[in-house]
Amino acid sequence: MDEKDLIQKAKKGDTLALSKLLQQNYSFLVKYLMKVTLHPQIAEDLTQETMMKCIEKIQLYNGESKFSSWLITIATNLYIDQQRRKKREKSWQEQALRKMKWQAGNRNEEWADVLDVLAKINEEIRMPIVLKHYYGYSYKEIGEMMGIAEGTVKSRVSNGLKSIRKELSENERV
Amino acid sequence: MKEYKSTNREAGVDEEDELTVKQIIDGFEKMDQWNPVSTPNLQWFQQNIELERKRIRRKQWKDLITFIFVAASVLSVVIAIVYRQPILFLYFQFVGIILLPFTFIKTRKRVSKE
Repeated sequence: MDEKDLIQKAKKGDTLALSKLLQQNYSFLVKYLMKVTLHPQIAEDLTQETMMKCIEKIQLYNGESKFSSWLITIATNLYIDQQRRKKREKSWQEQALRKMKWQAGNRNEEWADVLDVLAKINEEIRMPIVLKHYYGYSYKEIGEMMGIAEGTVKSRVSNGLKSIRKELSENERV
Repeated sequence: MKEYKSTNREAGVDEEDELTVKQIIDGFEKMDQWNPVSTPNLQWFQQNIELERKRIRRKQWKDLITFIFVAASVLSVVIAIVYRQPILFLYFQFVGIILLPFTFIKTRKRVSKE
């Protein structure tokens, strides 16, 4: 059964179809949120919240975008709202990154300095960079997902990349 | 993940940016390796969906009951005023009509601010 059929059935209230849809997109969603939050635990929690929202709003999905893109839109907005509500302390993220560094060390792998730099920049800049350059969405699509103008997305991505590059070259010099 | 080189060319990304983008992608790929995701089984999703649907139904009932209760209270107060002091009712209606344009102006301002 392809995705379209599953969506049609899920919209009619078929639990099995919706379960399959969510299961198929689960790992994609967790991985996206991990890149945006840089915190595996928060990513898992947000994935659960996104799925709950999806169960509630599945009737409103119009099929214009891919189902995974629709889920990303929900997840992005949930994360933005969460950040606005309770500005999480940076120490949370630092802890998660420390844990990841430890995991990298255990595997005898080199740590990616770019993750430290990405953690320093604001999530409203990090998100469009991830969506544009990792997932390949267009500026227009990102603007629609985040509820901001296309021009704003462009400038955030461009300035974000510049500041990441600057920070990385400073780190290299040190 | 789409092929980043093609999207970058389309986006007008210069070579320096391309190198930064490559570092970002490599970093994220490493992060994916360090944090493997295990997808729960289908039954887990089904159980969660059923639980969430029950919660939504309960919430909808609660909202409906609250709405009916508030509506009935407001209506009984209005009926009591109309029967006992019709002048007071007309006075409130008059004040309401006068204040109506102001609420529109306020709403417009809020929307334009956003």
